[in-house]
Amino acid sequence: MFKFTFICGCLLSSALWAGDAPIAYVKNVMGDASVTTAGKTVKAEVGTAVSQGSVLRTGAKSSMGLTFKDETMMSFGPDTQLTVDEYLYAPAQGKLSLVSMLAKGSMNYVSGIIAKLQPDAVAIKTPTGIIGVRGTQFVVKVEE
Amino acid sequence: MRFAYLSKAIRPVCLLLSAVFLLSACANSYVVLLENPDGRTGEVVVTGEKGKQVIKTAGYGASLDGSETPAPVSAAKIKSDFSAAMTARPKVPLRYILYFQSDATLTAESEALIPKIIAEAVNWPAVDISVVGHTDTLGAAEINESLALVRAVVMADLLKEKGLKYNSLNVESHGERNLLIPTPDDTLEPRNRRVEVSIR
Repeated sequence: MFKFTFICGCLLSSALWAGDAPIAYVKNVMGDASVTTAGKTVKAEVGTAVSQGSVLRTGAKSSMGLTFKDETMMSFGPDTQLTVDEYLYAPAQGKLSLVSMLAKGSMNYVSGIIAKLQPDAVAIKTPTGIIGVRGTQFVVKVEE
Repeated sequence: MRFAYLSKAIRPVCLLLSAVFLLSACANSYVVLLENPDGRTGEVVVTGEKGKQVIKTAGYGASLDGSETPAPVSAAKIKSDFSAAMTARPKVPLRYILYFQSDATLTAESEALIPKIIAEAVNWPAVDISVVGHTDTLGAAEINESLALVRAVVMADLLKEKGLKYNSLNVESHGERNLLIPTPDDTLEPRNRRVEVSIR
């Protein structure tokens, strides 16, 4: 029983750690934008931390840009919502993944080291299709 | 005969109409491949419920359901749909590459980069910095992972000691898994024995 609790505790703390460790920072904001991490929403400002699981939103006539640890860049136009579902950046262990969901709005994406080392580790999901990335820049728009 | 003449005349109109229709269908949800900031162009693969498309040419786009073969998208349309997102793009991160002599001592050229890195960092909003150690593929991967970390720690300590200012700084090891010069395993390559400092 003790062992079971201990393992659960470890899993929980590692899950919390993964959720808390910053994986990107906001670099540009115009107008009304927010970052929601673990249910807590903060107004996005230059330097606001983004973590695995964070939901990024921009309002009308607003925009926001962020740079990830692996130098991937994402920037959003107005009325956009993107969730960072998974971000793993541990090349020495071969653990690489960047999966996010663009629910609506517009995004400019520039790929970073994750896409360079393992192109199939990057996926941008949208309501109608999935975008795979092979070392490039693209823009994408999702209309509801 | 008269009918044939008419249909011939109408055909371009239909083509035009279908082009407009495709464009408007495409207008809802679509992706456009662009050239990278470094001038290279990669590829984008779209997999949707109606098919799979590979876009290989900058300025070409396709709808996200995978139903259309990639086609050029006008600069005016890109501008009207994406200018806000494109304008919000952060500055492209700057990367400095520093080399060590066989031990954990920097080469003279790399040592001279340190004041430049420190001076550059203050120009970035909420600057975050990664110091990443790398090795070549000579020897065991686990040992290389530790060695690369030692070099990164030495580098980061040196930068801090000389007065580097930052919002966040992380020290990492990529071991032998992120080569600057691609080589087979167990290959001595001094250019792969490096620390990269990324300023964002």
